[in-house]
Amino acid sequence: MAVILYEGVIYACLLAVLCVGLTLTYKITKVPNFAHTSFAVLGMYMALVFTKVFGMNAYLAMPVSFTISGATALFLYYFIIRIMQKKSQSFISLIIATLSFDIFMIGILNIFADYLFNSFQITSRDFTLRSLDVVVSGVPVILPASIAALACLIFGLYWLLYRTNYGISMRAAIENAVLARTFGINTTRIFCTSWFLSGGLAGVAGMLMALWFQGDPSLSFILLPSVFAGSIVGGFSSIYGAILGGVLVGISEVVGTNMLANTFGSWIIQYRPVIPFIAMIVTLLVLPNGLVQLVSHIRSRVK
Amino acid sequence: MIGPELIFFSDLIAILSIYLIINLSLNLEFGYAGIPNFGKVLSVAAGAFVAGIIPINLYGLILGIGKDPIHDNFEVVAEINAHIAAHPELAFAVFAITVIVAMIAGGTLGLLSSYPALRLRGDYLAITLLGFGELIRIIGINHTELVGGTLGVSLPDILSFVPNELRFFIASIALLCFAVAVYFLVSRFTKSPTGRLLRAMRDDELATRSLGRNIVRIKMKILLVSGMIGALGGLLYAMYVEGVVAFGYNRLNWTFLPFLMLIVGGTANNKGVLVGTVIFVLIRKLIVYYNDGLDGILPFDIIWLDYLLLGGIMITILIFKPHGILPERPDRLSGGAKKPEA
Repeated sequence: MAVILYEGVIYACLLAVLCVGLTLTYKITKVPNFAHTSFAVLGMYMALVFTKVFGMNAYLAMPVSFTISGATALFLYYFIIRIMQKKSQSFISLIIATLSFDIFMIGILNIFADYLFNSFQITSRDFTLRSLDVVVSGVPVILPASIAALACLIFGLYWLLYRTNYGISMRAAIENAVLARTFGINTTRIFCTSWFLSGGLAGVAGMLMALWFQGDPSLSFILLPSVFAGSIVGGFSSIYGAILGGVLVGISEVVGTNMLANTFGSWIIQYRPVIPFIAMIVTLLVLPNGLVQLVSHIRSRVK
Repeated sequence: MIGPELIFFSDLIAILSIYLIINLSLNLEFGYAGIPNFGKVLSVAAGAFVAGIIPINLYGLILGIGKDPIHDNFEVVAEINAHIAAHPELAFAVFAITVIVAMIAGGTLGLLSSYPALRLRGDYLAITLLGFGELIRIIGINHTELVGGTLGVSLPDILSFVPNELRFFIASIALLCFAVAVYFLVSRFTKSPTGRLLRAMRDDELATRSLGRNIVRIKMKILLVSGMIGALGGLLYAMYVEGVVAFGYNRLNWTFLPFLMLIVGGTANNKGVLVGTVIFVLIRKLIVYYNDGLDGILPFDIIWLDYLLLGGIMITILIFKPHGILPERPDRLSGGAKKPEA
């Protein structure tokens, strides 16, 4: 039971981090990034390289995976999305472009996995690094680490967006990019920063995920519906909604699947991807603007 | 007697025909009606699964074969093939029934996906349809009684009565006939008043509604029709390769690739679809053809080069030539192509 609880908490926290990244770029540049989870898988492979190839502690991979995944996201924005938006291409074309980038990334990740296997003879598909994690008094460090990652993200984003000048210009660019530009705010730089941040966060989340879950290039697509579901449950417009949605979907996925498997038998585990869809459909039917709508509704009632 | 070039060419025609059928159905949805069906694999897989279930079980009933079609797959298929060789007329009947069932299944799934398609915005719709497409694969892999799960299932060869060395040629010609028929029908359809209505709806839904058109009905209709055509494509593919493996029905091959062919060729232009399909089927066949030559040189599996290539080409096209090689052309009736009178 403790294992399921650990798994639920770790998964929920890291999923929330991924949802925040997805919502951030969606809110700022109006692009739903279907390649978002590939950045996380990239982070996972960084953890694998650090531990198995360099023989270092997995947590040291954090800054590297942040930088590399962030740089990849920046590349996607600067060289593809930005140019397409400049030519004012349709929303659907932008979705197709991110999907294509995802296909491209899957190719790269698989080639990298083949390379790791051929050159270093390490398991590079369906690998797990759980045994390499440090255990302090019976609790694997990944549990507090993933909670800390989410907490740092919450406070860090709050500090960035509400306590710095850069955050103020960022919020201005989100509200009205044209107006912000007339005030001398370099919106391109802000958009680039947000993509870098979003990709980097995904990289860190993926790197931490590698310490508990099985890593594989195909994971990017398995995670994608959950990340979208979390963001949509949160409303797809609010950073804090995304955190709430991610935690909710993450917990219900792990604990819900476990409960259903106990009742109906283990065959149901394969249908775990259905849970985020149900969460998404229920949200769209009941609360089309997500949990944020509920919160503001309660607030207005209280007043 | 038959050289490898001829086999290559015959296979090229077959795959080309199958993809043409699927791409034309996607063009109806995406190019003309503006519904981005990111779950194209859904109807294709439905058609293929029907091909994996109906003929083998139907023959099992008719011939009274007591064996399990999944477990004793090869024995059952061999028995059926022997029967087909002797009685080809029954094979045609079974094939016709399979086609009808597949089209009903594809149409039903099309109607099912019209539920979100009518209600959701682009991004929500995309993730929902992507998920639907993945779901059918999960079902196919985990329910062994359907199409053999991870191992897949062999199908009886409807063309068993043809001499062995001619089988693939005959199949290619038959597939080509199907593709030409679908091309003809879809072209007629898109040139008809309904085709114009589709484009009007895609370009301005509100204006179309103000003219008294029922958007909901037309969207449902188009998803129904293209679901049926997509299922036909999936069925023909399964019949052609004489097998169904659920793993094969992934979004790269049956969703992403059709989109790529469509966009490179030119959306909302059936000739463009033809061009795009020819280009990519040829590229992919050549990669497979020279696979052995590259195998030793590259330090990784050649499959992944395919991913890089297809993803890269799609992004390049989207940036530099978003309307494709043969862009959509204004209709004569809409006045755009009319030459100014002297």
